[in-house]
Amino acid sequence: MKGLIPLFIGLFGTFTFSWVGLTVIPNVQIGALNPQSDEEGTDIYPVPKSGMAQRGRSVYTANGCFYCHTQQLRPDYAAADLERVRDAGISPRAKWGERRSAPRDYVFGAPVLLGEERMGPDLANIGKAAPGQEQEPAAAPGASPPAASPAAQQSPPPNAAPQKSPGGGASAPAAANLSPSPSGKPNPNGIPPAYSEAWHHRHLYSPRSMSRDNLDSTMPAYRFLYEKRRISGERSAEALQLTGADAPPAGWEVVPTYDAKCLVAYLMAQDQSHPLKEAKNVAGAAPAPAQSPAAGAPSPGAPAAAPAAQQPPKK
Amino acid sequence: MTPAADIPLKQPAISATAGDVEQYERALIDASTRVPVLMFYASAMVWLLLATLLAVIVSFTTHSPDWFSDVSFLTWGRLRPVLMNVMVYGWASMVGMGTAIWLMARLCRTTLRHPLLIVAGTWFWNIGVAIGVTAILMGYSTGYQWLEFPPYVAVILLIAYALIISWAVLMFRFRRGEQIYITQWYLLGAFLWFPWLYAAAQVMLFIVPVQGVMQAAVGWWYANNLLFLWLGAIALGTAYYMIPKVIGRPVYSYHLATIGFWTYVLFSSWTGMQRGVDGPFPAWMITASIAATILTIIPVATVGLNHHMTMQGYFPVMRYSPTLRFTVFGAMSYTVFSVIGILISLRSTARYLHFTEATFAYSQIGLYAFFTMIMFGSMYYIVPRLVGREWRYATLIKLHFWASAYGIGLMSLMLVAGGIVQGTSQNDASLSFIESASSVLPYLRGDTIAALLLTVSHFIFAFHFGLMLFGLGRTSTVPTFLNPVEAEGSETHL
Amino acid sequence: MNDQPPNPSSLTRQGMDYGETSDVQEVHAAIQREKREPRVGLEPLSIWLIAVYGLALFTGGAYLGRYSGNFSGDSLDIAYIPPKKAGPGGGPSGGQEVPQTPFDRGKKVFSANCQTCHQANGQGVPGQYPPLAGSEFTNGGSRRMAMIVLKGLQGPVKVKGQQYGSAVMQPWDKTLTDQKIADVMTYERSEWGNKATPVTAEQIAALRKELASHPESYTEHDILAAPDEDIPGGGAPAGGAQPPKPGEAAKPAPPKPGG
Repeated sequence: MKGLIPLFIGLFGTFTFSWVGLTVIPNVQIGALNPQSDEEGTDIYPVPKSGMAQRGRSVYTANGCFYCHTQQLRPDYAAADLERVRDAGISPRAKWGERRSAPRDYVFGAPVLLGEERMGPDLANIGKAAPGQEQEPAAAPGASPPAASPAAQQSPPPNAAPQKSPGGGASAPAAANLSPSPSGKPNPNGIPPAYSEAWHHRHLYSPRSMSRDNLDSTMPAYRFLYEKRRISGERSAEALQLTGADAPPAGWEVVPTYDAKCLVAYLMAQDQSHPLKEAKNVAGAAPAPAQSPAAGAPSPGAPAAAPAAQQPPKK
Repeated sequence: MTPAADIPLKQPAISATAGDVEQYERALIDASTRVPVLMFYASAMVWLLLATLLAVIVSFTTHSPDWFSDVSFLTWGRLRPVLMNVMVYGWASMVGMGTAIWLMARLCRTTLRHPLLIVAGTWFWNIGVAIGVTAILMGYSTGYQWLEFPPYVAVILLIAYALIISWAVLMFRFRRGEQIYITQWYLLGAFLWFPWLYAAAQVMLFIVPVQGVMQAAVGWWYANNLLFLWLGAIALGTAYYMIPKVIGRPVYSYHLATIGFWTYVLFSSWTGMQRGVDGPFPAWMITASIAATILTIIPVATVGLNHHMTMQGYFPVMRYSPTLRFTVFGAMSYTVFSVIGILISLRSTARYLHFTEATFAYSQIGLYAFFTMIMFGSMYYIVPRLVGREWRYATLIKLHFWASAYGIGLMSLMLVAGGIVQGTSQNDASLSFIESASSVLPYLRGDTIAALLLTVSHFIFAFHFGLMLFGLGRTSTVPTFLNPVEAEGSETHL
Repeated sequence: MNDQPPNPSSLTRQGMDYGETSDVQEVHAAIQREKREPRVGLEPLSIWLIAVYGLALFTGGAYLGRYSGNFSGDSLDIAYIPPKKAGPGGGPSGGQEVPQTPFDRGKKVFSANCQTCHQANGQGVPGQYPPLAGSEFTNGGSRRMAMIVLKGLQGPVKVKGQQYGSAVMQPWDKTLTDQKIADVMTYERSEWGNKATPVTAEQIAALRKELASHPESYTEHDILAAPDEDIPGGGAPAGGAQPPKPGEAAKPAPPKPGG
């Protein structure tokens, strides 16, 4: 090639072509999405994470969780993501999700942690898989910091609600089989209720102790996120429920650090179950509203908003 | 065993050795590039050794995760990005720049004035990578693949790059000779695309961040373009130099080279979005990347044919020349790499291979089997010309080659097979998820064995390179052949 | 191999001190034996290669054409699915095919407005936001609860035996319509194990008129001074709990049933 000018024009042009085509044009198309809201301006989805959940996202990023966990669900025609149920929990087990993920789900993500590999299950709806609030330990660690983490206390009405009439919000009995007692104590085998906050803490501390089936789990143990200390006075409400070889010696307890609490708050805020117009299942059928009118309402993923949500929504 | 003299020639012997003036000129060029290029190589070797050790640890903890669980900076989620970044920015970029500087100097037939500027650039780059690695270990990873270094490290790297590139471009400006050879197209392209690419990614992700899933799109666009337009371009350019140079025949066809170059750039730069297949993106983006991946069969076939026809009848030279052996291995791996890339991005196969180890295998093959092997070949050619000694032990070269070849071969096989098993299990919703993790464990163990093989290979090479660096190579007029050349006065001067 | 004998005439060039030998011919043995720089031949394209090109272009193009969803930014699926026209249930909330009950509507209002403080499980935050689950105000007569919702509450307040008061609850009378207040109260009074009467918009409207002259925020004293009764005038369906006698403090909600 003799001509230098054509060479440079070519080099520049081909690269610009791909840059424009793959980043600029899509940015125009999907780079300025707004959350979806209904006609009255309420029922906003998604809402930005705040407080502990937002810090939890940094913890998630810093520790490279996204190298093994994805946060995106593929459509039903493409893969079996939407048929899958979680490995843990009493049946009926929580599904991975009701609908595929859409760009609108991620408008407030920074960074967006879609993930590229699944050595571990998908986490897009892991917060929704948590059991009902009756099974939450009363003083769940995420609750205390002020103004910080409504997200940490997400507990959607249990999926067992379906058969009940809307008026009878007594969701306790049906979901109660997830826990033997109302105060959220762990199951007789020592494991907290599946995907509750205490469960996540234990899972982070000792992944392979969660069940006999989980021995093959290759998740690293994040023990540096936890602190072993002497019990002063009485046992802290935040102390992890550990059994077997992981249990600390008598007089000691393992408590989560703030980072651990934030990470779990972030996980508990992961909920993509709110219906989106554009995220349809195959053949245009809308994703099944989660069994009942009650659960068809917005998932509690909505409210972790800034206090702006408390401002008059109907201006 | 065929004596080298019996190798049939398609054309009359071109030339054995060049004239005196040309030799003198080359000697001066090599002398001028000596310090910067050796500095690149030495830094790259250090990073390679670090990356290899990390690869063993990362690979081991993938299937036996209970190591290091108490230490935050040794957890898998931090070591894995450190490994990838050291491989890409520490090893691959530096050895690529070293080879590219030398090639540019030779092809432009100018000496490199003020080599200390490039040496300074090398050190800035080293510092940048070191700071970035420390930042990731301390928990400041940004969350984007191959962009985990915090943004301030990008500033350091771009400053270093400016120092390095300025002289490369100036050499080109003052080149002698009319033709711009194929290698120079690729290298010029690589030199120009990398800063644009890196700066664009930094701007779109950190300075004026795009919203939502566009971040992931930009990240994947960057990662694939880095692999093809920066590393791949340097590797292909190097192959276009080394193969004809070593065997002494011209490249087969100018037309093939032209078509191969432009289609390579055009189509490879549009890949990347297939990493988000069936994800939360408009379908056309994903499809465009998949279509581009399919279309990369054009440059692959073209470049492959070009090299093949160039080497027609000269394949036995691979018995003797380390350079040729590594380079041809790498060039063939490019074909394999591309075919695998096409297969895993089609939606029908992506159903089973997405989110599995197979995608990791794909980038490993590109980074190692294609790029790194060609770079090894170039180092075997260039280093003797810079230090004035020949490689000391042919056995070590052979060990290096076979350990690397078997290592990456085993790794690719294990990861692709493991990916298939994993994906099949993941797509069966009647199985619990943990079954897919269990099913892939044996393949991950195999992958660790492969990593160990690569460790052996790299330590051998590092030792050998160290000998050369300290002037302990062989003093000889005859290069180090991998096997003894039988006939005297053979045509295979190397 | 052959070692070169040292040559007496040593010419050192810049950066080229290779050691003993310095003769150009022997120092640059590697360069000397090099072939000339590579050149390019001019073989024409093979017809088979052109066939491969054609096949690749066709396949790639066909794939692009078929699976691009009209290049629309809205189309996430490979086959373009036109957006549904707004119909029954095709509204912005997506797939909701069933008519909304007060409970559903109230739940939406709760999520958008109340959940941030009172939490999705109605437990509130200790010391700051009182719980709604099992609270004597939520389970008692609707008057006291509606007063709080309409006009807000400040100052210390005791709920379920715990003291709260570090936060101020804003008034909602200007922000929410009667219907919305009624719905959200209905929701809160029947969720989380609460079993109290629903509330209608007419009741809220009536109370709003009654309280129109009252300045903002109540205190606990004001609330407890009010009768603990349901707002009169509600045609509350399916009578719920007996309204306790005026003046009588609401019994605390029964402990939630256990497992």
